[in-house]
Amino acid sequence: MDTRAIEKIVKEALSLGRKNLLEPEAKAIIGHASIPVASHRVVKDVVGAIEAAKEINYPVALKVVSPDILHKSDAGGVSLNIKDASELETRWTQMILELADEMPLSAIEGFLVEEMAPPGTEVIIGGIRDAQFGPAVMFGLGGVAVELLKDVSFRLAPVTKEEAFAMMAEVKSFPLLTGYRGSTYKDLDAIANAIMKVGEILTEVSSIKELEINPLVVYERGAVAVDARAIIS
Amino acid sequence: MKPVYQMENSGISFFFSPASVAVVGATEEPGKISNIILRSLIRAGFKGEVYPINPKYSSVLGMECLASIDDIPEKADIAVLAIPAPAVPSVLKSARGKIRGAIIVGGGFAEAGEAGLNLEKEVRDIAYKSGIRIIGPNCMGIYDTVSRLDTFFIPEDRIQRPAKGGLSIISQSGSFAVTAMDELAADGIGVARVVSYGNKTDVNEADCLDFLADDPETKAVAVYIESVEDGRRFVEAASRCSARKPVMAVKVGKGGAGITAARSHTGAIAGRYEIYRAAFKKAGVIELDGYEEFLAACKAFGMQGRAAGNRVMIITDGGGVGVGLSDACHSLGLDVAPLPEGLAEKLKTEFPSYFAIGNPLDLTGSATDESFALSLQKTMSGDHYDIAIVAALWGPPALTDNLPNMLSQKPGFTEKPILICTPGGVYSRQRFSLFREAGLPVFATPEAAVRAASVLARGARRG
Repeated sequence: MDTRAIEKIVKEALSLGRKNLLEPEAKAIIGHASIPVASHRVVKDVVGAIEAAKEINYPVALKVVSPDILHKSDAGGVSLNIKDASELETRWTQMILELADEMPLSAIEGFLVEEMAPPGTEVIIGGIRDAQFGPAVMFGLGGVAVELLKDVSFRLAPVTKEEAFAMMAEVKSFPLLTGYRGSTYKDLDAIANAIMKVGEILTEVSSIKELEINPLVVYERGAVAVDARAIIS
Repeated sequence: MKPVYQMENSGISFFFSPASVAVVGATEEPGKISNIILRSLIRAGFKGEVYPINPKYSSVLGMECLASIDDIPEKADIAVLAIPAPAVPSVLKSARGKIRGAIIVGGGFAEAGEAGLNLEKEVRDIAYKSGIRIIGPNCMGIYDTVSRLDTFFIPEDRIQRPAKGGLSIISQSGSFAVTAMDELAADGIGVARVVSYGNKTDVNEADCLDFLADDPETKAVAVYIESVEDGRRFVEAASRCSARKPVMAVKVGKGGAGITAARSHTGAIAGRYEIYRAAFKKAGVIELDGYEEFLAACKAFGMQGRAAGNRVMIITDGGGVGVGLSDACHSLGLDVAPLPEGLAEKLKTEFPSYFAIGNPLDLTGSATDESFALSLQKTMSGDHYDIAIVAALWGPPALTDNLPNMLSQKPGFTEKPILICTPGGVYSRQRFSLFREAGLPVFATPEAAVRAASVLARGARRG
């Protein structure tokens, strides 16, 4: 893990007076901890976006990058499954108009063009720092299981491999990762690795208060972080 | 924050083996805290010196009463301060070099608004400078069946004291500790040390766990927690303790709000209790859910040891109760594993054909003391089961009052825990106490027995 590179990213954001990291920054951090991240480029305009998409290969996702917008999709700042350059141009225009409507005062730093990760099972891995007990890591399966049912598990960091597996087995929706109703058996080692790394980041870098990968898309082999955020201070 | 000096301090073990105790604020007046404490020390047969201290008297309860701590001939290990809060700082100051530790039982400190908060700060400063260790304030102090120290200032006709045993209890709440003690005494469960540390201005749960980890008298530890300030130190101390003996904890105030003004899902979901639960897991602490489970756990661990695993054997003379126990086991994650084939065959040759051989093993209305004992011996020897639950209904005419003693001898499986469930009315309830006297943890309902079994099994799992 490249602790120094992670600290540098946080320090720069703090020097700009920010309390949270931009998606590309949060992704750079987890990338420095060798958690696989969906390949992406940050661009300024639609010409840059089309160039980036050509390099990444279609289909791509387009996301707004703004320190003022924490919930990107609610503000109309996420567009998925874009198939070619002309669709990218159309969606770009739509996004600009919608953002102007929803969040007229937000500063837009750029746009993120990202490979569309193929469908898999989505999990959420979050790190938090508790005033009494220090860093802890949360695991849950994506979507409703976490938000509505709070079907999650926690461990204090640092998290051992054994604990990471116990965290997965503890949630009720665990069978969704192990072949429930004919689905395939997912790469639990890749999840365990991400859980342990998030714990390690929180343990090593005290200026990160919260760090969340949501979702980490998990496949039969491997997993990839599609979105990430971090709270710093 | 804990003052640094404590790191070099030799710990708090002297609180549990004091050669001398001073009771500051001693009085003849019945019902006063200091009077109750003095009487408790006499009654319990405290072996060391007792120094009543009060400038108003020359003698209290037939003992010479000294005017101040300064008049103690040499030194006292502990002073119990049963005086109003505002008088505490000056007494502590004068005690410098004379005492090693103080138990401040009175309230009126941090729990009582700003003035009390300042008073407690002053007490902490004096303790820091003088090296005096403090238990409390706003606490009951120590009930100790080994040293026979008893500073719990509730008279014994209201709150019964448990006999000597291997269970130690540490509690932030005095009333919780007292109530649990009373229940344990009524259930015939002994204790080693009980500590109520109240506001824990100095000595806290981690200090107590450090001591109890090394305490040969303590075989199991039960903790009542409202809040932990130094979480990482708690995890360290609890880990060290749980590596040697079972440590279980109940945490109240579960509804605490999240960690931050949450901006991520994690922050929103991570309530205080989730973090406590994570800490318990890290430390190998058995998490207990509420008062009933706390008592069941105290009963189970007070009378039996850890189970090696979660495989439960159910032996009963009532088919219905057996099935009920089996259901309760399933819902708490216990494994009511079927009888191994060879064993089932063997039992069939031993018992009449109308006994239902299986798990549950149903001895029916023809059950005898001997058939219970034989079933227990055959099923629990060898490595098939970790815990036995014996549900004895008292209908079968052949059952006698010898049953509890026969079961308590644990033929063939001395290390494995056995729990008794004996529901029923007047006749059964009288038999209830026979099991207790035989040293077996006995429960009135299947659910309570299974809950205790699940606590014993959770003690087996680490990580």
